[in-house]
Amino acid sequence: MSISVIVPTLLRTFTQDQKRVEVQGSTVLEVIEQMEREYPGVKERLIGDGQVHRFVNIYVNDDDIRFADNLATPLKAGDAITILPAVAGG
Amino acid sequence: MSRLLHGCSLSGSFASSPAGFESLAASLRYQATTLGLNPQTTTDDPAHGGLSFTLRHPDLQPLKGLIHGWPDGSSAGITEHTVQAACGLMSVHGRASGKAQGLGVDYVSTLSASLALQGVFAAALGQLRGGDFNTVSTSMAAAGVLGIAQYLAGATAGAEAERLLPGATCAKNRPPFVSADGVHFELETLDAEPWRRFWAAVGIDGEQAGQGWKAFLLRYAKAVAPMPAVFRQALSRLSMARISALCDLSGVALCPVRSLAERRADRDLPGQLEQGPWAFDAISAGGKPMRDLDGQALPLSGLTVIESCRRIQGPLAGHLLAQLGAEVIRIELPGGDPLRGMPPCVDGVSVRFDALNRHKQVRELDIKSAAGREELYERVRDADVFLHNWAPGKAVELALDRADLMRVNPALVYAYAGGWGHDRPGEALPGTDFVVQAWSGVGEQIGLASATPGGSLFTVLDVLGGVVAAQGVSAALLHRALSGQGVRVDSSLLGAANLLCAQQLQETDTADDSLLKGVYPTQAGLLAIDCQTPAQLQQLENILACDLHSDPEGRDGLIRSALASQSAATWQQVLGDAAIPASVVVEDLSELAQDRRLKTCLSVNTYTSVNAHWSFR
Repeated sequence: MSISVIVPTLLRTFTQDQKRVEVQGSTVLEVIEQMEREYPGVKERLIGDGQVHRFVNIYVNDDDIRFADNLATPLKAGDAITILPAVAGG
Repeated sequence: MSRLLHGCSLSGSFASSPAGFESLAASLRYQATTLGLNPQTTTDDPAHGGLSFTLRHPDLQPLKGLIHGWPDGSSAGITEHTVQAACGLMSVHGRASGKAQGLGVDYVSTLSASLALQGVFAAALGQLRGGDFNTVSTSMAAAGVLGIAQYLAGATAGAEAERLLPGATCAKNRPPFVSADGVHFELETLDAEPWRRFWAAVGIDGEQAGQGWKAFLLRYAKAVAPMPAVFRQALSRLSMARISALCDLSGVALCPVRSLAERRADRDLPGQLEQGPWAFDAISAGGKPMRDLDGQALPLSGLTVIESCRRIQGPLAGHLLAQLGAEVIRIELPGGDPLRGMPPCVDGVSVRFDALNRHKQVRELDIKSAAGREELYERVRDADVFLHNWAPGKAVELALDRADLMRVNPALVYAYAGGWGHDRPGEALPGTDFVVQAWSGVGEQIGLASATPGGSLFTVLDVLGGVVAAQGVSAALLHRALSGQGVRVDSSLLGAANLLCAQQLQETDTADDSLLKGVYPTQAGLLAIDCQTPAQLQQLENILACDLHSDPEGRDGLIRSALASQSAATWQQVLGDAAIPASVVVEDLSELAQDRRLKTCLSVNTYTSVNAHWSFR
């Protein structure tokens, strides 16, 4: 199914400056894998050792995937994924 | 006890400082004392309406520091309270505290004193390098605006600008939290998983915990943290002992909001107050030839700072050194600092990030790799300053501690802008702004003044800590130029907190200078008033035609009624003409640049940025 991904500024170099891309996948991980095939280089900016990097937050609609099923969080048609840098600490 | 600048001396018009400058004068004297400057009170030239002081050393022409109220050199109507209103600090603090209101601590006064001394140290160094510097002018209002520079950037970032007004979020559903037995406390974790575990143990579902985490992450960037109401309800059923046990089990740090009285009783405090906010360690380095300055250069032009810092405190320190003329090379991880992408962005860069880093060069380097470390050693070999704000222990782990870098550059100024400082009294807790506010008593002071459970969600200590770190580096560079010694300088958020409350920590009965102080609604907008003398209070009574000697509540009612006839801007003019300190409270930061009093300290481009703090001649 088609999922809309809001691309953060730092990853737009990989997506030819597109702010939003449509990607197929039924989990967050599948979407990222598909993005990697279409826009090589994206995955390692988001994931390391099978985990989302500490300084990256991924939201499905408004929900942080760390509070759902992480990369296995299921998606349904029409969902939007937002990727944002994390600011923990001052 | 290190007194780094003991060969220098400082004199100033401290006793005859105008009304509104007393706290600034006290902080400046305290800072000068801890640096070994032996401050002396003189009666020279108090006439310019602010505070003046002079730095002397046998190798220097006397250097004069001037601190005005406003950037144009006037000081009309300036007090700590009115400047917090005028520069937007009340607005930022008000985002999560219910309304526009003051911090209740002498924040801008402390910042101003620190920045003024920093400018004079830099100018002294510039003079030793052949520059023509005699006077350094600064202002309290410019210091206030510098304090909120990141929030100002966010509020003026074109199409993506944030609009967060005072009262934007609930003043109750935010940290610090409150237990069933009435203890106020901060929670801190840098990772989502412990947060999820803690709230699950409290009985909160994952979705709500996730919403809370998202809000929790907003604190540092936006000064708001709107928590789901169920958090407060759930915690209100648990004792502090139970909450503490759940924190231990889930790996979340907990820090009760301690009182200033508790802080005063800490064993480390007398030593910390005597030492001041810096720990210096100077070692003979056999001297290092100083690069001469060109005629029109800034005082630190030609000096190189290597900065490996993230977030706020360290980058702000580097930013200030860059604004003094230093070439700052910022080391970032391969791929760049993720915060470059933190919204709002203009031209692809976070304006909040740009506000603290726009004057720096960037070198992406993996300092954990041998090759990256070697390149860093090479860069440090020719640098003047190395500045970092890593977690405790990381410098040793990376072989980038002072001893490691001294081997390649003995005359280096090695600066660490940390959380808890050299002696690390609270090391078991994360050294982040809100935890240190809670632990140090600063949070209690702000909470008492704001009717909130604790500190501000404005990053009070990150900003002051950054200024203090840059000031320490400036002092260390001056010392190096005078003595030939390399210097390690440790500063911290806790040191900044101690500095902010130094007066109250030293004397238990410090009285507020104000006879009448408040924020009042008018026909249009809010007005901050701060009468500091009986004459000002009498004048206010005359103008408002009411008796202001009644109880505070009755008095405030009378003032509100009287002020309802005119706008805040009109009242600012009317009260200003009568020499009563008063200012419009800036609620919308995007309007700040329209204030003609602040014009020279701001630049309006793709977002509104804050200009260099000092003017040298």
